[in-house]
Amino acid sequence: MKVFITLFLISLISFSGVISSQFVFAVSSDITITGTVPGCGDGVIQSGEECDGSNLVGQTCATKGFSGGSLSCNVNCTINTSQCTSAPFGGGGGGGGGGYIAPVETVAVFSGRAYPKSTVTLLKDAQIAAIAIAGSDATFSIKLSGLSGGNYIFAIYSEDSKGVRSSLLTFPVSITSGATVNVGGIFIAPTIATDKSEVKRGDNIAIFGQSVPKGEITVVVSSEEEFFGKITADQNGTYLYNFDTAQLDMGQHFTKCDGAISFFNKAISFAVGTKTVFAQPVKCPAKTDLNGDCRVNLVDFFISVYWYKRPSPPATTDLNGDGKVDLIDFSIMAFYWTG
Amino acid sequence: MRQFLYKILFIFSLGFILPQMVFAAQISFDTKTTQMQVGKNFEVILFVNTEQENINAFEGKVTFPGNFLDLKEIRDGNTIVNFWVEKPKAQDNTIVFSGVTPGGFNGRNYLLFSAIFEAKKEGVAKFGVNDARILRNDGIGSMAVLSITPFELVISKGSRAEISAIPKIKDRERPELFVPEIARDELVSGGKWFLVSATQDKGTGIDHYEIKETRQRFLGIFSKWISGEFPYVLQDQELRSYVFVKAVDKAVNTRVEQISPRNPLGWYENYENWLIIILGLAIAYVVKKLLWRKY
Repeated sequence: MKVFITLFLISLISFSGVISSQFVFAVSSDITITGTVPGCGDGVIQSGEECDGSNLVGQTCATKGFSGGSLSCNVNCTINTSQCTSAPFGGGGGGGGGGYIAPVETVAVFSGRAYPKSTVTLLKDAQIAAIAIAGSDATFSIKLSGLSGGNYIFAIYSEDSKGVRSSLLTFPVSITSGATVNVGGIFIAPTIATDKSEVKRGDNIAIFGQSVPKGEITVVVSSEEEFFGKITADQNGTYLYNFDTAQLDMGQHFTKCDGAISFFNKAISFAVGTKTVFAQPVKCPAKTDLNGDCRVNLVDFFISVYWYKRPSPPATTDLNGDGKVDLIDFSIMAFYWTG
Repeated sequence: MRQFLYKILFIFSLGFILPQMVFAAQISFDTKTTQMQVGKNFEVILFVNTEQENINAFEGKVTFPGNFLDLKEIRDGNTIVNFWVEKPKAQDNTIVFSGVTPGGFNGRNYLLFSAIFEAKKEGVAKFGVNDARILRNDGIGSMAVLSITPFELVISKGSRAEISAIPKIKDRERPELFVPEIARDELVSGGKWFLVSATQDKGTGIDHYEIKETRQRFLGIFSKWISGEFPYVLQDQELRSYVFVKAVDKAVNTRVEQISPRNPLGWYENYENWLIIILGLAIAYVVKKLLWRKY
């Protein structure tokens, strides 16, 4: 009898464990990340491609078993049947069958180029929705499902091999429920950094970063007049541009760069003076990271909200140093946002 | 000759002023009609046009005549604002709002929010925006040049204008997926653990959030939901509780997300386990009794 009771208890406890483990894992993400298919996007059907751009290889919704609608091609060269309409399944003889409508999913697919093997982070309404790794040719593709119909603000950024983040590239997208939206041709601006925070006038300053392989980089040094330089990135997308500071006045200057088909990255500053000070590698966002976790996200936002319009806020929350936490501080934080 | 010179000067000054006017960001109102009947409801929509500027923060006070109008509802579903610093709310015949869109955006006719009013009496109802600021996404929060187009509505008893009904939003979709986070910082409530969370609802907009903390996984269903705002200081500072966050939209669709405890109870500390054991023993006892009677 003892054995019976013991066995009964063990089964009860393990049953509760099974339920609890299911309960814990009940909250799941609907995000799917797909890899990039090399050669996809050139309009030519290659090995592993179901379609390419408008080339659907003669396939239609009907050949896919649907009654109508329009077939399209996903950016990863797989067939997209989300716009096909389903045929009602026929019923039994004489009586007529019941209807079935396949559930349609609302999907957004993002594709473009970042840096070879870099981490690409996609934000949906300012919160991290997906993280993908770009291919060695810097291409990436991210598929996001589980969306509703409505207006979204998507943003994307990448981190280069040295951990330097690109600017946040944002794009408002209006999504129709049940449709697939393809956002292609996203080109993330090259990263930029300098080897010195202050450089002795006449010495060179190295301006470097990462872009697409063999990408043409335009480096701009802004002073009273602007100096432009062009350089081609290597196979890994890294570039290095040495700039002679003899042509600059003493004082603060800015440099930025773009990658021919991308926007300019945000400018970084350096000083020309009488001594040389080497720059420390900066991986974490500047003062906007209030809790020091190297991210600027909801936690930092709500720390600021806590001090919004309160008297005597701590100096760390008062980002522009005007003695109060107001909209300007939130705007500064929103600029450095990482999600 | 003098008139000719004045004309030339006027044209030159237009040349300086017009481009600035064209590139000023705008906050504008929109409604289906400019005429309204007493007793009818109507919707006023507030839009933002960035006009080539990349902007990331907005605030202001929408003014309306309280003697003519009754504010019924504020809708912010599908807004361009990702996070409200101050969610649009009524305050002495004004609607105060303040919010940010991280990363900024650039475009025309993006919705900030809309408000449903009821026309109370005849007259001209004037809408405006006071203390408005739109800030650039430039890392220093510089102010964009802003122009505001005021709006007037004529309210009469027997207006012949065709008044379209306020579109009812059929919102059957739950709020968007979200990930609540627990954090601690010396800057908030003396370093106590707090909870933050935010999500959007593309239909009617988020109405409120509810929070539940429970150390029991299953019996927690009997615990009460507490309506809360973020940052929400946790009651269980030992972090031994499951924390549930419920986002509720204005059509009462809900989405619940959960955070597991960082320091979960040991099996012997959780009275759920003891209940299971006691229940098991009781069943075993009953079974034993039954078997004993049978044989």
